[in-house]
Amino acid sequence: MEPVEPMRHGFHEELDQLRLQVELMGVRVDENLERTRTVLRTGDVATADAAYACDDEIDAMNVSLTERCYLLLGRESPVASDLRFVVSVLRIISELERVGDLALRVVKLAPEQPLLASSGDAWDVLLTVGDEAIELYRTALRAWSSQDLGLATELATQCRSLDLYYERLISEIQRLDGPEAVRIAMGMFVAGRALERIADHSAIIGARLRYLITGEAAHLAAEVR
Amino acid sequence: MVANTTTKLTEPTNLDPNVDVTPEIPDRPDGSEREVVFDVSDLSVYYGAFRAVRDVDISVHRHEITAFIGPSGCGKTTVLRCLNRMNDLIEIARVEGKVTYHGVDLYDREVNPVEVRRRIGMVFQKPNPFPKSIYDNVAYGPKIAGAKGNMDDIVEKALRGAGLWDEVRSRLKASAMSLSGGQQQRLCIARAIATDPEVLLMDEPCSALDPIATARIEDLMQEIKDKYTIVIVTHNMQQAARVSDRTAFFTTEVNPESDTRTGLLVEVDSTDKMFSNPSDERTENYVTGRFG
Repeated sequence: MEPVEPMRHGFHEELDQLRLQVELMGVRVDENLERTRTVLRTGDVATADAAYACDDEIDAMNVSLTERCYLLLGRESPVASDLRFVVSVLRIISELERVGDLALRVVKLAPEQPLLASSGDAWDVLLTVGDEAIELYRTALRAWSSQDLGLATELATQCRSLDLYYERLISEIQRLDGPEAVRIAMGMFVAGRALERIADHSAIIGARLRYLITGEAAHLAAEVR
Repeated sequence: MVANTTTKLTEPTNLDPNVDVTPEIPDRPDGSEREVVFDVSDLSVYYGAFRAVRDVDISVHRHEITAFIGPSGCGKTTVLRCLNRMNDLIEIARVEGKVTYHGVDLYDREVNPVEVRRRIGMVFQKPNPFPKSIYDNVAYGPKIAGAKGNMDDIVEKALRGAGLWDEVRSRLKASAMSLSGGQQQRLCIARAIATDPEVLLMDEPCSALDPIATARIEDLMQEIKDKYTIVIVTHNMQQAARVSDRTAFFTTEVNPESDTRTGLLVEVDSTDKMFSNPSDERTENYVTGRFG
C-alpha cells in the first residue's frame, strides 16, 4: 500500500505520549521498590519517608492518567489496537498503583527492621523474595516500554519460580521460635505476602500487555490468585 | 455511609435476558450457517477500459446488516450497485464475475432487471423524493408494480415500517418537499419498502443528515432488520460499528502503468472482530485512522 497521510496524527501522538507517561509512572514505582529494598536492609527512616512522598506522586499520576484515558475514549472513540491500548493502560496503571501500595506495606515495617533481621534463615529468604519480586516487576516494566510480547510471556513463568521462594518463606516463618517469634512472624508474613503480591501484579501487567499486543481474549482472564 | 450489614444481596431482577455476557464462541467464523442472500465471486467492474473494482468475493446473509467501509474511490458503492443491477443504467459499465441472488445468477439474460430492483430496493445518499405528495411518493412503486390490495393500507404499512406514519398521517397530501431532510430520507425508505422488497441497499443514507436524524435512521435499521436484509455503504466507521453485523473493508491500489486506482475487497468479518482485532493490517490501519 502506498504511503498516505495519516488521518489522525494528533491522536496517535497522544497515544505515544500516554505510553511514555505510563512508563514514567512505572519508573516512579520502581524507585519506590528500590527504597523498599533499602528499608528492608537498613531500616532507614529517611528512605521510608521518601517512599511515602513518592507514593503520593504515584497516586496522583494514576488519577491524571485515568482521566486522560476517559477523555481519549470519549473524544476519539478508539477502535481495534487503539481501543485495546487505552483500555490496557487503564488496567495497567491500576496494577502499578497497587504495586506502589504494596511496597509501602513493606516500608511501613521500617521500625521493626532490626528485630526482623535477627531471624536468621527466614530473613534471608524474605530478602530473596524481595529481590525476585523486584526483578519480576522490572521485567514487566521493560516489557511495557519495549511492548515486547516475548518478555510479557516470560513473566508468567518467572512468577511461578517466585512462588517456590514464597512457600519456603512460609515454612521458615512456621519454624520461628523464641520470645519475639510471634511479632517477627507477623512482620515477616506481612512483608512476604506484599512482595509476593507485587510479583503477581507484575505477571498481570504481562498478561494485559499480551492482550494489548495479540488481541486474544484469553489474556484478559489473568487475575491475582 | 455506614454499610448495612443485615441487607442481603440479591440478584437484580431487571436484567435484560437478551444481553448475554458469557463469551461468544465463534461457531460460524465464515457465517456459513446463515442463509446466503447474495454470493459474489471474482467480481470486477469496468467503466470502459478502466477497471474500477477487482476480485471481490463476499456473501451477504439474510436478516443481517452488512456494512461496506473504505476510503473514497475504493469501489464500495460500485459493488453495492452491482447487487441490484443499477450499474446497467451506466452505458459504459461492465460487470465480470458472478453475483448470485438466492443461487440465481443476477446477470443471467433471463433475469428482468426491473423485477430485480423491486425485490432489492435502494436508498440513496441524498434524500430524493419525487416532487409529489407524501402519499404519491409511497404509492408510486406499488402502482407501477401493479400491486393488488388497498393502496391506502399499503401506504400506511410502508410509512409505519419507516417510522414516519405518526409524523405525517395528518398531511399525506402535503408535498414531500415540505418534510425535513431526515423525514425525506425515511420517506425514501418507505418508498423502497412499499414494493415489499427482501433487500434494502443503502448508499450512505445518513451522510446528508444531522446527528439526530442519523440516529433515527440507525434505530430504524435495527427495527426493520428482522424483515429485510440490509447492505449499507457508509463513510462513518462508527456508524458501521454501531449498526452492522458484518463489515467489509475495501481499499484502493494504484495501477502504476496508468496512474489510476482500482478498488478491492480487503477483508470481511463480523463487525465485532473488524473493530476489535481485524486480521488484515490494512484494515487495522484504516479503522484506527493510521492511513486515509
